[in-house]
Parts: sequence; C-alpha cells; structure tokens
Amino acid sequence: MANANTGSLLNKHTSNATMATAPYNYSYIFKYIIIGDMGVGKSCLLHQFTEKKFMADCPHTIGVEFGTRIIEVSGQKIKLQIWDTAGQERFRAVTRSYYRGAAGALMVYDITRRSTYNHLSSWLTDARNLTNPNTVIILIGNKADLEAQRDVTYEEAKQFAEENGLLFLEASAKTGENVEDAFLEAAKKIYQNIQDGSLDLNAAESGVQHKPSAPQGGRLTSEPQPQREGCGC
Amino acid sequence: MEAVLSEVVAVEDLLKFEKKYNSELGKGIVSKSTQFEYSWCLIRSKYSDDIRKGILLLEELLSKGNKEEQRDYVFYLSVANYRLKEYEKALKYVRNLLKTEPKNTQALELEKLIEKAMQKDGLVGMAIIGGMALGVAGLAGLIGLAVAKSK
Repeated sequence: MANANTGSLLNKHTSNATMATAPYNYSYIFKYIIIGDMGVGKSCLLHQFTEKKFMADCPHTIGVEFGTRIIEVSGQKIKLQIWDTAGQERFRAVTRSYYRGAAGALMVYDITRRSTYNHLSSWLTDARNLTNPNTVIILIGNKADLEAQRDVTYEEAKQFAEENGLLFLEASAKTGENVEDAFLEAAKKIYQNIQDGSLDLNAAESGVQHKPSAPQGGRLTSEPQPQREGCGC
Repeated sequence: MEAVLSEVVAVEDLLKFEKKYNSELGKGIVSKSTQFEYSWCLIRSKYSDDIRKGILLLEELLSKGNKEEQRDYVFYLSVANYRLKEYEKALKYVRNLLKTEPKNTQALELEKLIEKAMQKDGLVGMAIIGGMALGVAGLAGLIGLAVAKSK
C-alpha cells in the first residue's frame, strides 16, 4: 500500500507525479541581488536568465525589478528570487536595503567600459557591509560578445576576483553565453555552504529558506487518516 | 512585478529616511533626492496613511524634477495608487509614463496588473449588483404572489 509519495519527497522531485502533489515544487529559496553601475546590463542578464530572450534597448530600471526561476543543483530544485537593482546613483541609498538577507550577489561590470570596472570596489564594499559573511558574490563581466571594444582584460578581472574571494565569469546577455552559469555557479556555492554547515539556515539573514516538500508525517495521498479525525467541531 | 508591488519596507529603513527628511525639513531645504527616498519608503509601507503621505510628497516633486526623475515619480505614483486600490489614478499615471516610453517593460507590466485588478474589482462589483437585482426580482415576485393570493 506504501505509496511512493509518502517517502522522502526531497529525492523525488524529478517525477512529475510527485510534483503535482507536493506543496512546493522546490526545496529551497535563495535570494539574489544584482548590482553594478548603470548600463552594464543587469536587467538584460536577468531577462535572459528568466525569459531566455535578449532585451534590446532596455530603458534604465526604475528602482528595482524582480524575477524568479527554478534551477536544479545536485538534484535539488531551488527557486531563485532575484532583485535587480537600478544602477543610477539616485536610487542607490534605497536599493541598499535590498542587499539585506541576500544569499547571492551578482556584481556586474561592462567589459567595454573601464569606468564600470573601476567602480567595483565601491559596489563590493556595499555588498560586504550590507550582506552576511556567507553571501556568495560572483563577479560578472558582461557584454563579452563585444570583443573588439574590450576595455578590461579577462586576466585582470580574474585576478581582482581571486584577491577578493569572488567567483568570476565573463558573460553576454545578448548571446546568452555563460548567463545560466552565472546564476548556477553562485547557487552551487551556496548549496555547498549549506551542505558543509557553514551557512546556518536558521540565521535570520541567510537569504535561504528551506521548503520541506511534505510536512513531516503529513500525507499527500488520499488514504484515510484515522488519527486526524474527530475534530470537535 | 507583483513582488515589487507587494513588498513592504523594513521599519528601520522607513525610520532612517524619515529622519533624514525631517532633519532637512528642519533646516528649511529638503533636497529632491531626500524627498524621493523618503517617499519611496513611505509608499512601500503597510499603512495607508504612510502611502498617502508618500503620494503627496511625490506629487510635490513632480513639478520640480527633470524628465528622467519625473519618470520615477510617475511610476511610483502609479504603484502607490495601486497599493491603495485607487486603480483609476494608478492607470492614469502609468499611461502617462507609457506616452513617453511606450516600450518600458516595467510600466507595461504594471499597466497589465492594474487592468487585471480593475477587471477583478469590476467582476465583484457586477456580482454584487447582480445579486441585488436577483434579490429585488425575487422580492417583487413574492409580493406579486402575495397580492395575487389575497385577491
């Protein structure tokens, strides 16, 4: 009589039958933020990641934008909740409050505009001061398709990332190159931190929520539930 | 966009920007940026009175800002009115923004959500009116029946 669903649902997310009955079709939520100078392509990276489309001439973001997508790391479904912040200075004071409780941060510059790379230390200071020590920061050099206009070499950015303990990738929101990986690499690192215990899920600002697919002892089948009956109403 | 519309400001942030605003107000000159930051926090409050105050501050800014800043103010005026369920006003503001930037995805999404909310409100309204009409018709029928019987 044992229904497959009554076992550990965490391991069975890949089966569609299970997904239909599970209260959540993911086991974790990770909060991400995307930061960096205006015009480096933060919103385009998000759009490419969530919609798999390139948004040409996208206007400057007003305040913040939000996107989600479910990804899979080591067989676990993870929902990414991504806050994309406006890069313009006039929003910066308020967008800082969105850093709080981020599990991951994508810090973006434009490989064709040196100034956006030079400002990274200021973005990094904000990210370090306003997130928790376990927040995974990945440096993204966007517009990698514009090789002819390159203004920042791969090597120097790589070195900057290493010196500051950041993950690093060059990507292109236009072609889609490395966009998935940018979000995935950070998620892998966060998941690894959960697995090895360095990220405390109970900490208020870990940026990670665990969503047990089935409450312990809860039943998802239509079997009778004798213990539950007899409510005094 | 739904997340942006429903997200609530942290109390500590609201207080921080309120303090900055009040201190500038005390000195007699409030900068546009301080007023905008404070209104942006106010309109994300869970209290309607805060949202209303945020709307007043944003409306005051509207005449002072340059084109780009006006875009921000109009967008958040629309968001604020949406949160108060003042959908007509919300729609007016977002359509204003779309006049100058017809392809702005944030504004387009917001417009869609306002229209959806209005439609939902409209349906509920119609259901209430419909229910009342049925009630009236039923009552009339009963009276008719009673009159007929009494004859």
